[in-house]
Formats: sequence, structure tokens, C-alpha cells
Amino acid sequence: MTDITTLLRPRLISIKYSGRGQHNRAGQAKTILLGTVGVLFWAGLFALTLRVLTYFRGIEDIGDILNFRLLSMVLITAFALLIFSSILTTLSKLYLSRDLQLVHSMPIPSYRIFIARWIDATIDSSWMVIIYILPIFVAYGIVYRAGPMFYLGMPLQFAPLALTASGIGATAVMLVVMIVPANRMKSIFIFLSIFFFVVLYLAIRLLKPESLVDPDVFDTVLVYVTTLQAPSSPFLPTTWAFDALKASLEGKVSESLFHTALIWSFTATLWFVLVALADRVYFEGFSKTQTAQMRLYRKDLGVDRLTALLPGPIRAYTTKEIKTFLRDQSQWSQLFLIAALVFIYIYNFKALPLERSPIKTAYLQNLLSFLNMGLALFVLTAIAGRFAYPAVSTEKDAFWLVKTSPGSIRNFLWIKFFIYYPPLLVLTEFLILATNLLLDVTPFMMILSTTTVFFLVPSIVAIGIGIGAAYPDFKAENPSQSVTSSGGLLFMILSAGLILTVIAVEAGPVYHLFMAEFWEKKLSVWQGLWAVGSFAVVLLISLAAVFLPMQFGEKRLSRYQL
Amino acid sequence: MIELQGITKTYADFTAVNDLNLTVRPGEVFGFIGPNGAGKTTTIKIIGGILQPTAGNARICGIDIGQQPEAAKKKIGFIPDRPYLYEKLTGMEFMKFTADLYGSERNGFADKAASELNRFSLYDWRDELIESYSHGMRQRLIFAAALLHDPEVLVVDEPMVGLDPLAIMMVKDLFRRLADEGRTVFMSTHTLAIAEKTCHRIGIIHHGRLKATGTPEDLKRQIGVSDADLEQTFLHLTRSD
Repeated sequence: MTDITTLLRPRLISIKYSGRGQHNRAGQAKTILLGTVGVLFWAGLFALTLRVLTYFRGIEDIGDILNFRLLSMVLITAFALLIFSSILTTLSKLYLSRDLQLVHSMPIPSYRIFIARWIDATIDSSWMVIIYILPIFVAYGIVYRAGPMFYLGMPLQFAPLALTASGIGATAVMLVVMIVPANRMKSIFIFLSIFFFVVLYLAIRLLKPESLVDPDVFDTVLVYVTTLQAPSSPFLPTTWAFDALKASLEGKVSESLFHTALIWSFTATLWFVLVALADRVYFEGFSKTQTAQMRLYRKDLGVDRLTALLPGPIRAYTTKEIKTFLRDQSQWSQLFLIAALVFIYIYNFKALPLERSPIKTAYLQNLLSFLNMGLALFVLTAIAGRFAYPAVSTEKDAFWLVKTSPGSIRNFLWIKFFIYYPPLLVLTEFLILATNLLLDVTPFMMILSTTTVFFLVPSIVAIGIGIGAAYPDFKAENPSQSVTSSGGLLFMILSAGLILTVIAVEAGPVYHLFMAEFWEKKLSVWQGLWAVGSFAVVLLISLAAVFLPMQFGEKRLSRYQL
Repeated sequence: MIELQGITKTYADFTAVNDLNLTVRPGEVFGFIGPNGAGKTTTIKIIGGILQPTAGNARICGIDIGQQPEAAKKKIGFIPDRPYLYEKLTGMEFMKFTADLYGSERNGFADKAASELNRFSLYDWRDELIESYSHGMRQRLIFAAALLHDPEVLVVDEPMVGLDPLAIMMVKDLFRRLADEGRTVFMSTHTLAIAEKTCHRIGIIHHGRLKATGTPEDLKRQIGVSDADLEQTFLHLTRSD
């Protein structure tokens, strides 16, 4: 037991000192911002659940059935999330962490290493899920006026659920790693989970959930839900937790304790099986993970031919960037996600019930088209945050190659810019064109939106590259997530500020131009001057937004010391 | 040729390198030795153009690296102590990447790359991703890539780390041969025996200051012990502070 606590000690110490590294203001601001968002989300979830439960409880006959069905569904969803989260976490903690080689070289049996890592993984993978389902259960307690036993019992039911989910996740991981290497398994698992998420999201979207706003449809759905068979298999741990919570809500203490004991007995049994399994297969799986990965495909995709005509340094970085991107399996799932995002985005415009609007359709269509320009640029910002912003940080520790090469940092940044600019321009223009065609906008709006986007895409890409270069994180394990850093926040704020400014500057003249065209009138001299002045300002802002962030990034990155 | 004039580098209150003046001539293998944290890697980074000195200047073949970094870097083959590379490229793709960056792709790249990869026993691995290479293989790949553009100056931080005995012997011969061809080799090392056998001249740095320079024999003479080896000389010079 002592060696297990010893193995856990570095983690405990790092938690203890975790606040010490963030002396800078940006770090503190980020913590405060994320904390505020977290608290607001928690409070919102609590308020929403309280309202829904109170409303359902007020419905005669089926109110309680609905609420308990909801409770059962929440538990199953939370359990599924816990398993999903534990698979990813245990994979990293048991097989991929950098310190594992050191740990395995110590004179400790592998099953004890497993236990220490599993405890760590269980806490890591479950604390956030537990915290975010807590307001739902507190709301149940309030609505059903539960006694203190309900609140005291909650940790007793959540803890075995988290342990069971983590046990199931760890068992699955240990068995699959025997067949598929851990690195590849992580990529496959992330890809599959994103695939299922996208399919589920598409399915829900295509079901048109907005029709639930219609009271007739809503009543039918409620009746349908109550007639559904509850997922109450007696072999599911969530059923035991559900029974325990329900009994506790109804004040049946001994019944609640019985079901709680049932979950704990299962958890304890699973734990013994898990440790026995770990003793047999964990080290073998870890050993397999140490061997080099085989390449998934060797076929030349013609990248060299594509870049053959470019000058030397540009070709070097372009080829490297494309090949690295195509060979990194974690990027594939991102592309898939973007494709789904684009599809849903365009579908939303197709599904708009414009004909039912009380405002005149032609006016509304063009107003939407104008606002859509901003929306598409926000989508671009999100995608640029994923690709353009981390473009410099993705050099990781190999950045010394850039520093020692005879090319300048300026050229390096412009090459990065031109690698990301064309695909992002095509994507944004495609979004604008497709949605404008669906909205059937006037030629003026079509030209205006495509031109504005044409000028703003390079600005947003340049802000991404420039700010990413000014605040690089070459030590990040996954640079693509660096947009959540303080530099990433600055990129988001600057991009959003730019988009909103351009929309605000264009709004007045566009209204006058559109109305003049609509009523077939001429613009007054003042309106004409305003329009020319506004578009000139937009052009100037766009150009400034290209060159200033790039210069800022170049200046900071040139001073960056490895 | 490398010329360092009054190089000083400070990090907040800490002075890593203090008023370093040094000239390494063409045809010379220069060994830079010193205890941990003495300022070796900082100096090497300044020579390689990775780090800006707080004061002073570094000239490579007469070109000030602070004023004309691109022109100066074209003359250098830089080999760091830790072989971080682009994991998702193959060995040959990395060679092509380097050739493109240094503009040496048109001078018979294929033959030159094959020859360097063969020299460092990597030719059979040329089409494998770097992520599958061992530490030593990565180090050898960096050597191969650094020699691709025929640099006039080779700057190497801890050249023998991760290399097997055969590769170490080959690298030692290579340094000597490059020097015979009139090129300059500047290397830092902890392995005093290698420095003694490979380098024409040695510089000992301690607490950021150059304590002594000269041939191994000159250094022994400086401490006044005729039968001392380089290890004793090193200890004598670095203990005295």
C-alpha cells in the first residue's frame, strides 16, 4: 500500500503547487474567466433543471413518471460519459504518459503501478462529470423536498458509479491494447467518438427539434416519452443508483441503503477482477506500446509534385506542413468535424421558415444575408483558432530548425499565412455563396458579402498567425488546443472585434444602398459619400489587420529565446 | 571562421556568458568544455543565431550574425544536443526539407543526400517516419542534414550524446577531415578524452568566463603540472573559483 501512495505523491504535490506557476496576470485572468464561465454554466443548469422538474411535477398523472424517467436518463448519460472519459484518461495514464518508463523501472509490481494510475485516472476522468451533474440532483432534492439523507447519500451513489465506469473503461483499454497499439487506439477512439457525436448531432438536427415549440407536437412527445420502456435492466449499475436515489427522494432510507450496498458490492467485485487482470496483462500491453508504430499507409499522395514549382524555403515549409497534417491521424477527425459543421450550417439556412415571418421576405432574406456574413466569419474564427493560431506552436521542439535556418522569421510567418489562407478563403466563400443562394439574395448582397469576406479572411488568418507567433507554446503536448491559452483569447477577442467593427461600419451604407435598389431610387450625395467612405474604411481596417498582427508576431517571435 | 567579440548574455540577474572573446580559425577543430551551467550551450546558441547576446557580436566567416543572420546561417551547419525533429516526416523528406531551406536542392541533392545517409548508416531507414527512429538515429540524421549544404562552419553541441562507438569514431574522423578541408568545427563536450584526441585547441569556460584556451599541451603548461592529463587540468582550472 505504501508504494501505491508513494506513486501517487508526485501527483498530489503537483496539485498542491499548481497555483504557484500562474503569477502572471494573464494566467490569473484566464483562471478567473474560466471559473466564472464554469459557475455560470453550473448555475444555469441548476435553474433550468429546477424549472423543468417543477413544470413536469405540475402535470397531472404523468408528472412524477416524467421526472423519474428523466432521472434515469440523466444517470445513464452520466455513466456513458464517465466510461467515455475514463477510456481516454486511462489510455494516457496507463500507457502513454512520459513518466511511465521511469515508474516501470522501479522495483514495484506492475499491478500496483496499475492501481496507483487507475486511482489517478478515476479522479481525473470523473470529477468534472460529477460536478456538472450535481446541480441536477440538488434540483431533484429541492423539488421533492428530500431530507438530509438524500444529500448525504449522493456521494455514496456517485462514487461507485465513477469507480465502476472507470473499471469498465480500464478493462476495455487493457484488453484492446493487447491487439491495437495504444497510440493508434487513442486516435481511433477519438475519431469514432467524434463520428458518433456528429451522426447523433446530424440525426437530432434533421429531426427538426424546433417543431417542439408547437404545443400540439410537444404534448404528443410528452405522452410518447411516458410510454417508453424505462431502461431499468436489473443488471445495470445505473439502475441500482437510480433505485437508491429514488428511494432516498421518497424518504425510504433502508431501501435506499440496500440499493447503495448493491452498487458498492459490484464495484468491489469489479475492482478485484480488474487488479487480477492488470496483474496478468498490464505490463505486457505497456511493453507492446513501447515498440515503434508501423506506418498506416505509405502511398505518396503527390504532395511533392504539388509543391514542386515553389521556391526552396516556401516548398520546404509547405511540403512539411501538408505531409505532417495528412499523417497526423488526430487531424482527420477535425476535418470530419468541420465538414459536419459546414453541412449543419448550410442546412440551418435551408430549414429557415422565412415564409412564416411577419416581416417582408425579400427584406428579411437580405438582412439575414448581411448578418450571415458576420456569422460565417465567426465560424472562420473558430476554425482559424484550431489551425492558423497554433500553426507556429505546432513546430514544437523542432523550432530550433527554423531559428538556425537561413530564412527570416518574417518569411517563415508569411509562408505559414499562405498555407492556411487559401483553404480558409475557399471554405468561407463556400459558406457565404451556398447560404446566399439558399436565401435567394439580391446580386448586390451577393457581391457585398463575398467581397467583404474576401477582405476579412486574410485579416483573421493573419491575426491567428501573428498572435500565435507572439505567444507560442512550443512545449504544449497538443498545440492545436493552445487556442484556450491567454494568447488564444486575445486572438478571439481581436477577431471578434474586427468582425463586429466591419459589420457596424458597413451596416448604415448597406441599408441605404439596399433600400435604394429595392425601391429603385437614387442615393443622395451624402449617402453616396458615406458608402464610399465606409467601404474605404473597411478596406483600410482589413489591410491593417493583416499587416499589424504579422509584424507584432514577427517582432515577438524574433526575440523568442529557445 | 568564428569570431566572438565581447559576448555577454544575461538572464535577469544571472550572467550566463561574460565578455567572451574568442577566434576559431578555418581548418581548426575547437573544443569548448566546462562544468554544467558554465555557459557552453548559451555560447553555442549565440553562434548558431538562436540566441541574441546582451552585448558583443559574433561573426561567421566575416559576417555579423546579428546584422545579417540569413547570410551567416547559410555558412553554418548546426547540431543541437537534443535531436528534436519533425516526427511525421521520413528521413529522406527531412533531408529534402533541409536542402530546400538552405537552397542546396539543385546541387545534386539526390546523390548528396544518399551519400550522407549512407555515411551515417541511415540509408535503409530513409523512408521511415522519424517518429520511429531511436535517439541515436535522430542525432545521426541531424548530422547528415547539417552536412548537406557543405557548411564552412560546423557548430555542434555535445556531438557524441546518443551515438554508438562506431558512429563516435566516424564523427571524430569526420571532424578532422572537415578541418583538413579548411572548415571550422566548434564543439562543446563533457567527454574530455574526445576533446583531447579530436580538437586542435580547447577552451575552458567557467561561470560564463573563458578561463583558458590553447592546445591540450598549452593548457597543461598553464597550470604548471607537466604530467597532468586534460581531466586534471580541467579540474584545476574550474575548481579554483
